[in-house]
Amino acid sequence: MDNTLAPPQTRRVVMGIQEPQDFDAPELPTEPLPLNMGPSHPAMHGTVRMVLEVEGEKISSADVQIGYLHRCFEKESEFATWTQVFPYTDRLNYISPMLNNVGYAMAVEKLLGITNQIPERAQYIRVIVGEMSRITDHMTCLGASAMELGAFTVFLYMLKAREWLFELIEEVCGARLTVSYLRIGGCAWDLPEGFAEKLRSILERSKGVLAEVSTLLDRNRIFRDRLDGIGVVTQQDCLQYGITGPVARSTGLAYDVRKDAPYLVYDRFDFDVPVGSVGDNFDRYAVRVEEMKQSMRILEQALQQIQPGPVAVNDPRIILPAKSETYNSIEAMIAHFKIIMDGIHVPPGEVYSYTEAGNGELGFYLVSDGTGRPWKCRVRPPCFAATAILPELLKGLFIADIVPTFGLMNMIGGECDR
Amino acid sequence: MSTGPVTTPPAPGAPPPVETVTVTIDGKTHQFPKGTNLLEACNATGANVPFFCYHPGLSSPAVCRQCLVEVKGQPKPVPSCYTPVADKMEVATASPKTLDVRRQMLEFTLVNHPIDCPICDKAGECMLQKHYFDWDGKLARNDGIKVKKAKVVDLGPTIVLDQERCILCTRCIRVCDEVAGVHQLEMSKRGDRELLGVAPGHKLDNPYSLNTVDVCPVGALTSKDFRFAMRAWELYATPSVCTGCATGCNTDVHSSRGRIYRLVPRVNEKVNKHWMCDEGRMTYKAVHTDRLAAPMSEGAAVEWDRALDDATRRLRTVLDQGPGRLGVVFNATSPNEDLYALAKLAFDHLGVGKAYLAGRDQGWSDKILVSADKNPNTAGAFAIGAGRLKTLLDLANDLKSGAIGALLVVGTDGVLVGDKASATMPLDKLEALVVLSTHKNAVTQAAHVALPLAGWAELDGTFTNKLGMVQRVHAAIPPAGDALAGWDILSHLAHKLGATMDFQSAKAVFTEASSKLPFMKGAEWGRGVRPLQLRFANSRG
Amino acid sequence: MSQNVLERLKAQFTGGELLDTGSQHGDEWARIRRDAWVTVATFLRDDPATKMEMFTDLTVVDRFATEPRFDVVLHLYSVSLKQRVRLYAGVPEEDPTLETLVPVWAGANWFEREAYDLYGVRFKGHPDLRRILMYPEFVGHPLRKDYPKEKRQPLVRRQPGSVD
Repeated sequence: MDNTLAPPQTRRVVMGIQEPQDFDAPELPTEPLPLNMGPSHPAMHGTVRMVLEVEGEKISSADVQIGYLHRCFEKESEFATWTQVFPYTDRLNYISPMLNNVGYAMAVEKLLGITNQIPERAQYIRVIVGEMSRITDHMTCLGASAMELGAFTVFLYMLKAREWLFELIEEVCGARLTVSYLRIGGCAWDLPEGFAEKLRSILERSKGVLAEVSTLLDRNRIFRDRLDGIGVVTQQDCLQYGITGPVARSTGLAYDVRKDAPYLVYDRFDFDVPVGSVGDNFDRYAVRVEEMKQSMRILEQALQQIQPGPVAVNDPRIILPAKSETYNSIEAMIAHFKIIMDGIHVPPGEVYSYTEAGNGELGFYLVSDGTGRPWKCRVRPPCFAATAILPELLKGLFIADIVPTFGLMNMIGGECDR
Repeated sequence: MSTGPVTTPPAPGAPPPVETVTVTIDGKTHQFPKGTNLLEACNATGANVPFFCYHPGLSSPAVCRQCLVEVKGQPKPVPSCYTPVADKMEVATASPKTLDVRRQMLEFTLVNHPIDCPICDKAGECMLQKHYFDWDGKLARNDGIKVKKAKVVDLGPTIVLDQERCILCTRCIRVCDEVAGVHQLEMSKRGDRELLGVAPGHKLDNPYSLNTVDVCPVGALTSKDFRFAMRAWELYATPSVCTGCATGCNTDVHSSRGRIYRLVPRVNEKVNKHWMCDEGRMTYKAVHTDRLAAPMSEGAAVEWDRALDDATRRLRTVLDQGPGRLGVVFNATSPNEDLYALAKLAFDHLGVGKAYLAGRDQGWSDKILVSADKNPNTAGAFAIGAGRLKTLLDLANDLKSGAIGALLVVGTDGVLVGDKASATMPLDKLEALVVLSTHKNAVTQAAHVALPLAGWAELDGTFTNKLGMVQRVHAAIPPAGDALAGWDILSHLAHKLGATMDFQSAKAVFTEASSKLPFMKGAEWGRGVRPLQLRFANSRG
Repeated sequence: MSQNVLERLKAQFTGGELLDTGSQHGDEWARIRRDAWVTVATFLRDDPATKMEMFTDLTVVDRFATEPRFDVVLHLYSVSLKQRVRLYAGVPEEDPTLETLVPVWAGANWFEREAYDLYGVRFKGHPDLRRILMYPEFVGHPLRKDYPKEKRQPLVRRQPGSVD
């Protein structure tokens, strides 16, 4: 894909002397230069190696090599019980761990057939922590991308806001990243006291941060020059490559799982799906900013609508019974024992369950053989598809364009490589 | 994997086929032979009807009432373990009423069951846990005050009883009565005070007592040998065959991290049905004690290559004096593959004339499972030896007369060595004594070169039982130390001696042997098995 | 929910290409004969009643004990008609090959590379079939059921618990 937007007043430089554009200088002999970028490179976050062939500054071919963060998620899942897979899911898209938990829990519940029995409060909690995770995901993506273009202040502002959210998540479940908060059948425990007020205050302040960042970046000459018209992805590309999420929406493809196939209680909220038009880097940036604002809308509505109630399904064969029961009755003791040692008995079958994660459609394809552990636990990573288009997308761009393009695809190594 | 002798199709004029009846189970019709147990019939269709007191190898008293199913036309649910199938029977194994009754029976069974799972041996393979989890999802609705009974009752030399855990299924009583043929266990009192105990004046000391631990659905009866030794879910099961006597009961070896913790019987209707004797169960202990772990030459541990070179040198010296100077000792405890490799090396390549058969002594026997012949492969040894094998008495005579100068011993069970003062088996006169042994003993002490042999639990091979059945053992644990399988060592030795015998795998030996030996012609090697982790095997039951 | 996809498939492919169809937990699936893989996929992409423009996922399931051993699983989505389908193609162990879907959806490239890397299923006609997650010196196909989790690779030194 050629970069048709050349900077104004191109001058060719021959032997150190600036020549006017129409000078007919002889072509210098050039060879493509193999250039290795990564895997240990500040801009290759998530460890990705790009073996580039460059002619001058222009990339003639890019071989994007992933797999440096492969930690055998699928193989380990085959040796763990259904509940023991949750910590592995935390580490998929590690910037938005709750969203992975949500996706996996819903997949197993679909296989068990208990999707309709999840208590309402549990569904609201899942939406709330999920949207908080989405905001942290976008904040990290935009902050890191801006920093790599030189806007270090934006990075610090975004991380400051992100910290407020992580601290609140830590109050909920004890960890910022390794949350393992959800269980099959509901949540591990209820939200803490004072959660709603704290979240509202964070949303207020975060809106202020987003406004500040907007003033810094939206009409910033350098930022716009580096992002406008670079890395254009078309709708057809998205369909061909299976790209979903903010990248797809920036091309104009209005596909959001929360709207097209609503799950949990998303159909009760009033929110919009921001859609771009050009599909370049700037659109991806803008779509993410808007999505954060929409997530905040969802959070406000969820906090208003949520009611007290149980946070997990009431079946001792799926959810661990209370400790007072476990220590005082044989039935609960057996249930506790079997859930932990054998694993929940999921009936044999296969299911593909999909949710809207930070990067797009996060799919879990589970195969159960009837025992307490998965036969296969496949993650369909949204950023795998987005990274797959990079070799085509980078052809003809300058080396410097790799940084914003790769950054705004939001390839999270944990999710792409698993 | 076990195979029978080669079978031929029935001759014309054979008895007519079995009468079948048509039964509808959960809406689908099936055909079953007349007289089939309804519980077996339902479970054959995958209905997974739970049961406690029923056991396919024992009589069926229908005391636990867990297997109740609804049969059309019957006013009350019917105990399926006690009911034979009848023509046009309609059975519902998962109707709401059946499920409710099933849950109620579990509730009754659990009402006085102690909360012992964390300390109970059976946890992880307990049928009560399994059936509760499969069929009953309700929490307790009683006040939790349970009947107190004795917790550690010494029933006999092998078994400890926890009376509170007992669910009164009477399987153990029937094992003693029907399998062992002695009445040693009894129930006393009644209602929720009913107790299991020994029959007056008896102890639980019959030679099949440990089968009661296998059949006990809960952790009431526990084996003194296995108690608190290892958690069931950490064990991996590998199919194998007991090598305690010539019966060759099929077993599962339960091991974890390279150590065997127990042997349990595997069902084989032709050999041992569902049972095993206590003595056979204890044969796993010998796998881990006194093993010869490294090749020894002149009493010092050396590398394999060096030991094989030493052995070759010594044997070659004697062989150069004439092939009749070398004696070879077969052993009736070796698998067919080792015996075949030795026979091929000794008779076909080296032209040895003097071969002997050693083995364990005869012992006690009964009409149930135990054979007097305590060697697992006598039949195989005789068949492979094909009349060329002499006795140990002949060996002693040949040694005394100096007729042989070298001895190659494969397997040292039953090879007696006298001390230097006595002349029982004067091995010290030999110029070359090369011994392949699993264990350290007087023979390996006396040997010039002792090579470590892999035992029955560490190799893939076959044994022939007294009925002529060739049965397959699978390796459950890696060999001790540097031990190798017998055919492997003999291949290396043959290579060094200049003979062309080169087996790459146990399967290769088996394939060649079964093509040449008539008694092995019907046998199959079978597929390799992945050891089954008990934790995910849904309770042995 | 996407029943009409199965109806269209059943109407179009009457020559035995469609081995089985079904619906489980709200997912519609169809099992395709191996040699009709690309034909059926292209049809689903282009037919106006199914319009499966979006390639969602391609992976492999190792059934291990049943024949054929591997099942290549394809998930498709129609953005315009909001329909989904799952397609299976049984691939035997002795000849683990299948036609590539890269001419139909360019995104199948990386997904097929991953299937090859982790399961050893080769895709005929793939422009660049090489490992994607594992390093090039890796031996074997790790997600196969007979690949032990603790297996040591030649480039890695022995550790307690690793098997050779």
